[in-house]
Amino acid sequence: MSANDKKESKQDTLEREVESVVDEETAGLDPAEAGRIREKVRARVLEEVERERRIRTAAERRAEERRRREEKRRERLHEEGEMFERFNRNFRFQHIVMFTSVIILVITGMPIKFPEFVLSRFLVNMWGGIHNATIVHRIGAGMLIYFMVHHLFYTVFSRQGRRDFILLIPTPKDARDAVQNVRHFLGKTGEKPRFGRFSYIEKFDYWAVYWGCVIMIGSGVFLWGEEIVLKFFPKYVLDVAHEMHSDEAMLATLAIVIWHFYNVHFNPDRFPGTLMWWHGQISEHEMKEEHPLEYEEIMAKRSKQKTAEVPNP
Amino acid sequence: MRGTFLAAAIFIALGVIAQGFWFPADARISLEKCTLCHGKPEFRKILVDGKIRDLFATADSLKGSVHEKKTCVDCHFDVSEIPHRQRPQRVTCTHCHYKGNAEGAPQSDAYLEYFGSVHGNAIAGGNTKAPLCQDCHGNHSIRKTKDPTSEVSRGNVAETCGRCHIEIYAVYKTSIHGVAVSQGIPEAPSCTGCHGEHKIYAHKDPKSTVFATHVAAQCSTCHGSVSIMSKYGIEAEQVTTYQNSFHGVASGFGSRTVANCASCHGVHDIRPSEDPRSMVNPKNIPATCGKCHPGANPNFAVGKMHVDSHSKESGIIYYTAQFFKYLTIGTMLALIAHIFLDMYGRTRRLRGDK
Repeated sequence: MSANDKKESKQDTLEREVESVVDEETAGLDPAEAGRIREKVRARVLEEVERERRIRTAAERRAEERRRREEKRRERLHEEGEMFERFNRNFRFQHIVMFTSVIILVITGMPIKFPEFVLSRFLVNMWGGIHNATIVHRIGAGMLIYFMVHHLFYTVFSRQGRRDFILLIPTPKDARDAVQNVRHFLGKTGEKPRFGRFSYIEKFDYWAVYWGCVIMIGSGVFLWGEEIVLKFFPKYVLDVAHEMHSDEAMLATLAIVIWHFYNVHFNPDRFPGTLMWWHGQISEHEMKEEHPLEYEEIMAKRSKQKTAEVPNP
Repeated sequence: MRGTFLAAAIFIALGVIAQGFWFPADARISLEKCTLCHGKPEFRKILVDGKIRDLFATADSLKGSVHEKKTCVDCHFDVSEIPHRQRPQRVTCTHCHYKGNAEGAPQSDAYLEYFGSVHGNAIAGGNTKAPLCQDCHGNHSIRKTKDPTSEVSRGNVAETCGRCHIEIYAVYKTSIHGVAVSQGIPEAPSCTGCHGEHKIYAHKDPKSTVFATHVAAQCSTCHGSVSIMSKYGIEAEQVTTYQNSFHGVASGFGSRTVANCASCHGVHDIRPSEDPRSMVNPKNIPATCGKCHPGANPNFAVGKMHVDSHSKESGIIYYTAQFFKYLTIGTMLALIAHIFLDMYGRTRRLRGDK
């Protein structure tokens, strides 16, 4: 009952408000004319009120959603601690471009290496024949070349890129880490190796992609412009490029499907996959677990900043 | 009255049966009647366009042919009176040669294939120059295919086809296959070896055995067979190397523009690569490749065409393939070992042993 009353009173207030606005609008006119346009003005005012109401609810819905998301995150934070940004937006974009292009390249290229495989005919016919598949393959190639150029610029001109590149250079510690990790797997030592920002596994992934891109793009460009290449080189150069392209494709695909998929999808810690490639965030828990040296470094930096901020008494 | 009728009926019936016994004599009579005119060597007709139609035919015409025991009217069955008033129709072989016939003519569906073929369709379309059965198999001298004197025997069929396809015949005759056939090499292909016998289609027709995407399969029936090719010192691996090349793979996926065997080696003028007239002679390769790859230059001819990365003769290509083979095996072994060690460690820790 009371809710109904409240609604009624709200309706009344609205009615009164509308009346007052209409009065205001028609104040300057003579009564006869005011009577004529009164209805029109009223309708317009009501329309405006309605629009206002809709906008407010949409905004409210958005705010509500944001609040819920924040709450969820805080819940998780409680479990996992603070979220750190592991990959910045630029890096995530590069990764998305790369894996999109690699998927395109694999599904259009592998049928040519294995024409007898059951899926091959489907994968070729999906594009409308081998001719179209070769065009799609070149689109994928263009994306991969763009990624490579983008990444080179990122490495040279971005501060984060430069820093990451230096951290990705293999060091003797990586060999020691690998040995210790294997010993840890076998139960010879209880301690896991303590990784920095990039473990030897991630360094391997990075340099595998580097090597793959150089070989694939290098030989692929030769095969793409075969008529120009044959103006300057004998045919066996193209045959070597063809062999490299075909064999490295196999190696890269196997490395991605077996190694990378295990590390980011099928690994029991990650299954069925992390969304880190999308949001780039890593939790404090994971950070301590997998990149303890980086975590300590960040913490040390923070405490240094704090001590710097605190003024001497 | 009734008895008389019955006697007459029996008499007539006996007469009909008796005719069967006298039939051969009757046939001879019929043949003699025909050869009254057709047995004269100068019996011929001059057609309106000035050509001479030889109408000479005697008992010897059918000698040695599969129709030796037949008479004139068995095939020229529209001749019912002698002399015949109008020109008899062209002989229709399907009068006897159909499945389930009572004449004892060979029974097969092979004849039916002719009707769908390019020749059969041309006839159906009203082309009077298109060949009927007798145009290839011969008129009176029809012999079995195995008979070397037959017009459709291995050695003669090219000449038979060449009666109409004269230019192609001239090209084919000097090609490696034409020369091989005339030398009596039993596996060498004549026209029918590639084009088929009754089901010959235009090469643009997807049903054709020499359609762009079927050429490789057609050539490889012989060239893919080691037992045939080893006899003549030809490599049989050309088929597999083609199938593994981009040309072969794209052709297998149904591309009609990509090169098949005939695009490079020629169609009727296939010659060994040592022959300077061969399309695949190193001297001619720029022109041959240039048909599809504009601006082809002698660089196209440097290096082996049919590359097999598994054979050592391929040189640097072989070593590239080997390098990647061992790189892949080594890397994958290490990675998979790492994965299994990781899983082993996890299981061990889950079980609680340290």
